[in-house]
Amino acid sequence: MGILNTVIEFSYYLLSAFIAFVLIREIYKTENYQEAVLYSVILVPFILRILRIK
Amino acid sequence: MFLHAGIILIIIAVTFAIGTYFKLNTELAMLLAAIAAAIYHTGGIPVRHLVEGSFTYYDVSLIFITATLFINLVKESGGIVFMVRKIIIRFHKHRFLTLLFLTFILMIPGALTGAGAATVLTVGTLVGTVLVYMGISKTKTAAIIFLCASMSAAAPPINLWAMMAAAGANMPYVGFMQPLFVLTITGSLFTMFFLGAKGENPDLDKILKELPEPPAEMNWIRVGTPFLVLILLIVAGRLFPFTMPILGLPFIFIISAITMYIMSPKKLNILDIAGRTIRSLIPLVGIMIVVGILIQVMALSGARGLISLAVVTLPIGFLFATLFLILPVSEGLLQYAVAPLLGVPLIFLFNMQGFNAIIILSAMAVMWPIGDILPPTAVVGRATVIELNYKGRYYRDFLKTCLVPMAFILGLCTIFLIFSNQLSFLVGG
Amino acid sequence: MSKQRLNIIKIITMILIVASLIISGKAFLAHRNYKEAVVAGPSVTEVKTLGDYFAPLKGSVADCNIYILDSGKPGGTIFLIGGSHPEEPATNLTAEIFAENAVLKQGKLIIAIRANRSASTVTRPGDAYPQFYNIKTDWGTKKFRMGDRWSNPLDSWPDPEVYVHYPSKQMLAYMDIRNINRTWPGKKDGSITEQICYGFMNVIKEENVDLFIDLHEAELEYPVISTIVAHESGQNIAAMASMMLTDMEFAEPIGIEFSPKSLHGLSHREIGDHSDAVSLLFETPEPFLDRVRGVTDERLLLEGKDPFVMRAGKFGLLYESIDEDGWPIDVRVGRHCSTTLMVSQIWNQTNPGKGVIIENIPKYADVIDNGVGHYFKNPDEAVAEKVFYE
Repeated sequence: MGILNTVIEFSYYLLSAFIAFVLIREIYKTENYQEAVLYSVILVPFILRILRIK
Repeated sequence: MFLHAGIILIIIAVTFAIGTYFKLNTELAMLLAAIAAAIYHTGGIPVRHLVEGSFTYYDVSLIFITATLFINLVKESGGIVFMVRKIIIRFHKHRFLTLLFLTFILMIPGALTGAGAATVLTVGTLVGTVLVYMGISKTKTAAIIFLCASMSAAAPPINLWAMMAAAGANMPYVGFMQPLFVLTITGSLFTMFFLGAKGENPDLDKILKELPEPPAEMNWIRVGTPFLVLILLIVAGRLFPFTMPILGLPFIFIISAITMYIMSPKKLNILDIAGRTIRSLIPLVGIMIVVGILIQVMALSGARGLISLAVVTLPIGFLFATLFLILPVSEGLLQYAVAPLLGVPLIFLFNMQGFNAIIILSAMAVMWPIGDILPPTAVVGRATVIELNYKGRYYRDFLKTCLVPMAFILGLCTIFLIFSNQLSFLVGG
Repeated sequence: MSKQRLNIIKIITMILIVASLIISGKAFLAHRNYKEAVVAGPSVTEVKTLGDYFAPLKGSVADCNIYILDSGKPGGTIFLIGGSHPEEPATNLTAEIFAENAVLKQGKLIIAIRANRSASTVTRPGDAYPQFYNIKTDWGTKKFRMGDRWSNPLDSWPDPEVYVHYPSKQMLAYMDIRNINRTWPGKKDGSITEQICYGFMNVIKEENVDLFIDLHEAELEYPVISTIVAHESGQNIAAMASMMLTDMEFAEPIGIEFSPKSLHGLSHREIGDHSDAVSLLFETPEPFLDRVRGVTDERLLLEGKDPFVMRAGKFGLLYESIDEDGWPIDVRVGRHCSTTLMVSQIWNQTNPGKGVIIENIPKYADVIDNGVGHYFKNPDEAVAEKVFYE
């Protein structure tokens, strides 16, 4: 059970990392400045969670 | 402190209005308002608070993203068009049954994701096409899609307004399934039959020609298995809680999505679809992140307390008489932010006055999404007219056609508010 | 917009975002890793950790200190825990006063100051809590971590779709799987919060605890406030304590509530049901937790004064009175100290041969007169072996 829980927890970090990756790609690709700013703001909690800071 | 909190509210309102005037999108205007209020309150930029606030709905965002990914995979595999075609082929001679099953199809995406936009984007066009071929005018079709999408967003298991408000009130999100089910099913069926009952029987060939073809190998087992997995995992967590590992809803949706990927008759590029899903959800995830920041700043500065105080000191009779207006209008203005802002103090007030909090919150959580047709945000209303390529007038045709079913739903919810204790037998699930 | 201008905006935004990540990240880490020094009092004979009673927790974020104050004279055993909900500061402050000052004349006193360490390493998103609060002492200022009601998601992620309590199978809110006062009696292979409770149950059993006290604070909008919540086995003690304290010591009365039999996961229910210990839970009023509160800051946390909460009181929306004097931390800690002392006295009277005699702890009036900080020892002046970190 312990190992399984660890795997599940790790998959949540992986999911967060994937979302962060898509956001970074979108920030790079977008040609709309408002989108770029909004995507950057959304990125913040994902980065801090992946780094296990918050 | 009353004056200070009042000034904070004015700063938020004015900055939001200025941002909107200068064509900032709702999320950025809201963020700007939060930052302006934070600067006024602290005399600097409280970075830790702004960042901490962005975590408020982090887990809700993950549920939202993974649920939409699942629905998108069902769509991309041809599952949804398969279901719609099967319903038409099987029931085209029975208008009542066709409308009933189409209502059911419209309810699934929003019920699972908690977002009306998910319904509009995944099944809106398909069902809309069928409805038009059933002799329903384009205006009525748009109204049906919007209202059923709103009801689907409010339908269980995922009702984001109820989840956010319950979390704020330290109240378990348990027992809401049945009241939400009764309210949303009644609302969506009334809408569908009130607006769609009259019309010719559809010409099967014409409709089938118009609808896209699903892959030949698609069948009920392929499309049904992922939904079965989803239901089984949710039920297993409740039936065998001490032996099942804790999966959490996002992981359950991921497993269901992987099942759909495996069962899909055509090869799906899951990474590509996941990327597109996240891209399409960015505005909605964005609003949740920004609402969290705004709520944190309002809590910090006392503005949240002032609103709560204003709400809880209103007479109950006044609330019964006005909530059917206040809740949709505030949703149009602030989107999901209204759930923690108005919902939490309202729950406290009603609870304290001896009303059944679960029935009360269920009723409110069905009233809120109705406001998604109202300006300035009108997220689901706008998505509906864009997706259906509706050319009529937004207010005079589309909104006007929605009014009677809207009045019915809001009236029903008001009855639930007033008679919450008598209806408490509905609590469960 | 030109490409060049767009790129400039993107770069500026990124710089701002990275700066906010660094600033906030440093603040979050400083909070999570901050250690509070505790000077073990004259009667502390041993300091164990929760991991000594349940090995899987050893060295983990949940491995809080367990202070054992043994008089060496046979008697009963009382177990006092603070910090179940680290957003309720009067609880860990009271427990710390006991750990630093108590002199045991008979029996044994066991103390956990930070019962849920994990929850003390995070503040609640959306609620704008201060990360720390400072208490003035005779030798300077002592800084404490503010915490949350729930364990840190970094230590327990994800939450279930619905939390099903072990072993009752009662369904509770999903996040309450991280709420230590919903996870009693704990589960050996459960979530970290369930494991914490399991560890504490081991303490209760191994140390033969007779009386268990769980300290809490509550918002004034919540009906269970200014009260002693008692398991059936402790109702007589609680009733007598409430009567005596209201009559002799407190300006505002303290009530008694019976632990509901159908509500599971709470310490007053489960410890009484799953061990031989009598289980009690004390509540003091904390206006900081009220939803209608005004400005959220350290001042409100410690002074407990809030005009919005007062206004709510005027509308009859509160379960406890509040005036311009508010509910300062000294009053709240004073109530917890006196309630604990009164309960132990009544315990001694009603359980001869199982007495726990505690001395050198300030009563309600003393804490109000001298302030909470007066009772904290200076770790810089203490011998290193006496200093422990929470």
